Amino acid sequence: MSESGIDVERRRFIAWALTPSLIVLFAVAVLPAIYLVVTSLTPFQLTTPGSATDFSEPFRNYSLLPGDPRFVNSLVVQAKLSVASVLFQVLLGTLLALLLNVPSRFVEFARTFFLIPMVLPPIVVAVIWKLIYAPDISPLYYAAQALHFTLPALTSNVDFALTSIIIADTWEWLPFTFLMVLAALQTIPDEYSEAALVDGANKLQIFWYVTLPFITPILVISGMFRLIDSVKAFPLIFLLTGGGPGTLTEVTNYYAYLLAFDTNEIGYSSAVTVVMLLLVCGISLGLVWMGRRKEALA
Amino acid sequence: MKTASRVSSINRRTLLKASAAGAALAAFPAPLIAQTKPFAGVTLHGASFQHRFFTLLQKYIPEFEEKTGMKVDLQLSSLPVYNQQANLELSSGGSAYDFVNVTFTLATRWIAAGLLANLDEFTGDANLTPAEWNPKDFVDGAQVTYRDPKGGTYGFAWEGGAMLMGLSRMDLMEKKGLKIPKTFDELQHVCAEINGTDGVSGLVSWFLHNWNLPPYIQGFGGNIFRNPPGDPMPALNTPEAIQGVEFYAKLLKSAPTGVLTYTEDQARQAMLTGRANIFIHSSAWVTPILLSEESKVKETSRVVRSPAGPVHDYPASNSQGIGIPKNAKNKKAAWEFIKWALSKEISMRLVKEHGHSSICRRSIITSDDYRKLNTVNGQDLGALYLEVLEMPGKGDNYMAYRTTKEFPIVGDILNKAFEQVATGQLPAKDAMNAAQDQAIAALRRAGTKL
Repeated sequence: MSESGIDVERRRFIAWALTPSLIVLFAVAVLPAIYLVVTSLTPFQLTTPGSATDFSEPFRNYSLLPGDPRFVNSLVVQAKLSVASVLFQVLLGTLLALLLNVPSRFVEFARTFFLIPMVLPPIVVAVIWKLIYAPDISPLYYAAQALHFTLPALTSNVDFALTSIIIADTWEWLPFTFLMVLAALQTIPDEYSEAALVDGANKLQIFWYVTLPFITPILVISGMFRLIDSVKAFPLIFLLTGGGPGTLTEVTNYYAYLLAFDTNEIGYSSAVTVVMLLLVCGISLGLVWMGRRKEALA
Repeated sequence: MKTASRVSSINRRTLLKASAAGAALAAFPAPLIAQTKPFAGVTLHGASFQHRFFTLLQKYIPEFEEKTGMKVDLQLSSLPVYNQQANLELSSGGSAYDFVNVTFTLATRWIAAGLLANLDEFTGDANLTPAEWNPKDFVDGAQVTYRDPKGGTYGFAWEGGAMLMGLSRMDLMEKKGLKIPKTFDELQHVCAEINGTDGVSGLVSWFLHNWNLPPYIQGFGGNIFRNPPGDPMPALNTPEAIQGVEFYAKLLKSAPTGVLTYTEDQARQAMLTGRANIFIHSSAWVTPILLSEESKVKETSRVVRSPAGPVHDYPASNSQGIGIPKNAKNKKAAWEFIKWALSKEISMRLVKEHGHSSICRRSIITSDDYRKLNTVNGQDLGALYLEVLEMPGKGDNYMAYRTTKEFPIVGDILNKAFEQVATGQLPAKDAMNAAQDQAIAALRRAGTKL
């Protein structure tokens, strides 16, 4: 009885201790999300009085989405951008971490140097790449000119526009995966690779059979974080391409922004955002489930 | 001693009189102040986007505050940010602002939704507006956007933009025996001929295609809507619109690499340094080739009317206005400010003291002082500016497409379609057919009855 009483007391204490945080979390995260969902059920337009509370056709916005070619295209562009940039970030980040996982003062300095892009405000990153990609002022173009080589305008070229965003995004976030993998590499005991070496394994085999299994969970986690975060590549697109040429780099959040702030379709834009939110949640849950399943199988 | 006593007695009297006067002042201060400064204690809140006009005006605002007794709190932000803030504030019936910039592209929407106060109530009252202020002095082409269908006025233009053509390398043109282009065909020819000569591009432009492209569509006889503002059915796939798109896409082949993402500043810089020969844009962006100290091409530049199309000669023009939100708390004070900011006196001071020429008062633009300051190398820039600014006010308001509430949706689709054509993703006909379908679907989704 008394134990049960202690348990009740403990649970009550935990509930009281958590309450302020939960209230704050509810106010800053859940309430806006609820408002977003409610707005997505209306035809809300800034200049149409009464449209914010018109629930006569609550699922109209959602029913229009599959027939909207720009929305469908934006999902495809988002998928291309996310997959390519996450892939490059994980691969290059791992490669860089493997190269710099050696005790040396120069390497320590280089590690710090490599972290700079990640800590810059996203808009600064966008401005840096805007300068690199602007043909009339870019050192890249001056260099190409000096070598008698003609570079196309990367951000307005059909074949390079999306690639130019992927390059900038990879440059910005590569340090994240680099840092994660480097930390994981430093936790691997030397004994394992030494034993493998004694058994006659070459460097590639050591990497494949010893190092990679150790860092795989970190690779999955950093990939997952980057995948979720890649949906937020807004400043780069806003400043570098404006979603163009045409709609070649128009991702879903940029389309939602245009709908809300250029054409004032707040209701429809909210529906686009809700779908995007659900997709991101779905992907995250899927990845978590896959991770747990792998752990269970192991 | 007697003298000393008399002096002392006068002093006492003077002191008594002064005390009485002081007491009277202390007892009745408000009416006295009210007579001299009718808006004492009022803080006027206004908002606009950042523009040279307001930056210059801020230098004069202390004089206005001194004269009226009110404080002016003027919030300036970038154009997109301002548009979003003002749209939200006005649409939600807020009263945070006493006066606002009425953005050209939002004007019709705001007026139709009843978000602005009718300024005729102020101009029609002789107690509030003296006759010499004269609302009819504002160029009609600049004012037409700020009127409702019944003719009521909801804003007065503080800034005018008139599309002109700047040519920075007349020396190259003369060498090649080329004349200033007056038609679309001549423009195409001159751009193609100059492009690549001495590293100079034939033409430069910038990324807002839905501003640069419509004069060509209209020049061929097309339009963005079937009959704006009354009939907002998009007209993007008419043969004339397709012809205009094809023409402008071909024209941009003579532009620098990456022109599709050029900003106005990049385009202006290309002109000032002589890296591009032709720039067709608002006067404020084109005339610096003659007026700016940065210009390296002053001696070889000309500014002229932009070429005419085979059907219409419709150079674009626009204006920005100041208005009073319907729910503003200090409407009379706001009107006092607008009246002062757009007075002939302040307009002339802006011209004389700062060379600010994009104003909309006819009496100023046609004045000798203005003409003297804006005539460069024998070119009367003021006359050109006025000529183009007046055009939409004469008969066909061909700029109406831009102020219809449907334009932001259709304009965005037009931008995308044009880029698809210019980058070779789609032929003009296919791109514009798809754009037409998308525009109709998007307008219906937004509740427009077509």
